[in-house]
Amino acid sequence: MIAACPRIRDLPPSLLAQRFSEASVTLDYGAALVRVRTVLKPFVRDFQRVYGAFFLAEEAGFADFHTEVCSGKGLRAIFGPQSRFLIDGIQPFDPFPREQALPHFEWGVNWCFGKRFNQHVLLHSGVLALGDRGVIMAAPPGSGKSTLTAAMMLRGFRLLSDEFGVLCPHTGQLWPMLKPVALKNRSIEVIRAYTDQAILGPVYGGTRKGDVAHLAPDEASVDARRLPARPHLVLFPLFREGAALTTRRLPSEEAFARLAFNSFNYDLLGRTSFNAVADVIDACSAFELEYSRLDEAIECLRAMLSESTVAAAAAAAAA
Amino acid sequence: MISLGGADPCMHGLLALLIDPRQVGSVGLADWDKIIRLARQSRLLGVLSYRIQSHPELLPQVPGCVLGHLRSAAAYSAHRTQVLRVELAALAKALPAEIPVVVLKGAAYILQDLENARGRLPGDVDLMVAYNDLKQAEAALLGAGWAAEEINDYDQRYYREWSHELPPMRRPGSSVELDLHHTITPVTARLKPDTTLLFADLQAVEGKRFLVLHPQDQILHAAVHLFQDSELFANLRDLVDIDSLIRTHLNSESDWQALAVRAARHHLERPLWYALRYCRAWLATPVPDALPLAAPPAAAIWWMDWVFPRCTLPRIPDRPPPFSRRVAAQLGLLRHQWLRLPPALLLRHLAHKGLQSLRPRPAVQHKAE
Repeated sequence: MIAACPRIRDLPPSLLAQRFSEASVTLDYGAALVRVRTVLKPFVRDFQRVYGAFFLAEEAGFADFHTEVCSGKGLRAIFGPQSRFLIDGIQPFDPFPREQALPHFEWGVNWCFGKRFNQHVLLHSGVLALGDRGVIMAAPPGSGKSTLTAAMMLRGFRLLSDEFGVLCPHTGQLWPMLKPVALKNRSIEVIRAYTDQAILGPVYGGTRKGDVAHLAPDEASVDARRLPARPHLVLFPLFREGAALTTRRLPSEEAFARLAFNSFNYDLLGRTSFNAVADVIDACSAFELEYSRLDEAIECLRAMLSESTVAAAAAAAAA
Repeated sequence: MISLGGADPCMHGLLALLIDPRQVGSVGLADWDKIIRLARQSRLLGVLSYRIQSHPELLPQVPGCVLGHLRSAAAYSAHRTQVLRVELAALAKALPAEIPVVVLKGAAYILQDLENARGRLPGDVDLMVAYNDLKQAEAALLGAGWAAEEINDYDQRYYREWSHELPPMRRPGSSVELDLHHTITPVTARLKPDTTLLFADLQAVEGKRFLVLHPQDQILHAAVHLFQDSELFANLRDLVDIDSLIRTHLNSESDWQALAVRAARHHLERPLWYALRYCRAWLATPVPDALPLAAPPAAAIWWMDWVFPRCTLPRIPDRPPPFSRRVAAQLGLLRHQWLRLPPALLLRHLAHKGLQSLRPRPAVQHKAE
């Protein structure tokens, strides 16, 4: 059924724009469906690039969020044109310049998840997987998490999320919340130079986070968007210029605190999130990883993931 | 049934589920999409969630994606309820023990652990003290770290002379706003309850420092709040509160008679009459037929039947509201001001606000959910 739908990048731009303005496009992020309507051409153009591998599905009857990207009010429709993001008629942020409609939309969707998706524990982390073996990468902004996330996808890991690690408290599974990876400032050039496979959207200068460009999720990640992964490894990456690769195994209590307090809704969910994060820490080994070379870090990660799988299999056999 | 004023057809579905959640099995996915949006617009998603989840046998009939939103709303309401409890504990410490303090509305439902607090998303804390205790209570709160938000002299005067509450206060770092009242309706309003009666029948809550209104006054307060002190806008939640309070507090024919008598003593028959009319029509509230309550004139009922559903029922905001809803919203607004202020004061107030709106203002950050 899915195979019958075209990918966004294969559509004639005019047809996509028409669909956006006359009906709507429902984006399947894996854990959530987001319905989008817009008449803004710059948005549609950038959207087609960074969401190229996604499918244009038939209108489903249900969406989790109903959003609209529209133009500024009154004269702002013409002079210093703006874009506004609406979720169910609410405008959570001030308008952006119209050329930045796509990053505006991305932040808007993050706002929706952060505010209205508390059925899951939302870890502030990148999540990638080999098969169903998941790596949770949690770190504060500026530690090179998105760069490493991007590089891992480009080296064959399946991307589940860059920002929202979606942990289901009922099953303990990690769900994809597959959005474009938001690269900031220097990371943009690093990833561009890393491989010519990377599909990057335009660079938006002077946003509140500096320069931002989005890396498009690849086909394999999009195709697997409805497949959850099991947490196997928790990683706290730290990029440091010129550093040799070092890993430090973290004691459970430290790993727990760092993962829990990096979550968007840990305090809101109370006992539910405490138990869910504790289960993750129980099931995973946790490391701090300092690196300066991406490929070296990725090889190390691959090895750790297979070790943790061997260890888990041994533990299961012993049990 | 009274017309829903051109509301989305799924509005019937939302009301039906609020009345009887056992109907979940008959709701299709496309209808769920709208029912969740309508419930969220009216701050009722947590209540709907609680009512459905209190029948665990129904859950297999609820699609997974829908159940996710129900759980999310329940978690958010539970969290906000906990935040409110913490705030009440801090207030209990800050207020001098010798002042009787009454908790009103949502916080009172939580304090009494009433059925309608379950899943309900609480807003502010509303406290009431006797007028003579107001200064002391305010000073105690300011001394304990609460602070009023900066407002101009005119608004300051509006609150202190014409309103029934002080300008909202907040403890630094707290997300809960505190309104300190000395009665339950603005002092300038048309309908004023009997404050002596209100204070004479306050009820203690076991193990708590606070008092609450007499159960029947809780119903009357909710009714006067909805039909006099609001713009009638997006207030379905208030009607659901009234329905739930009635089902909790009124258990016999004599309770109903007593409510009608008390409404008359407070001069609040009309708001109660309207509340019962829409509760019965939309929420199947078991209201007895023969109540000694005088009905409003037929023209007033006709007017309210047109305005109220168009103002108060939520809608799907994919398109701008239709003309009739915009007219109804303006009428609701005018009616609110008319009931709140005597004509001379109203003119003066509107003139002031009109002039003020011509001045440039800094952009206000939208108060997101």
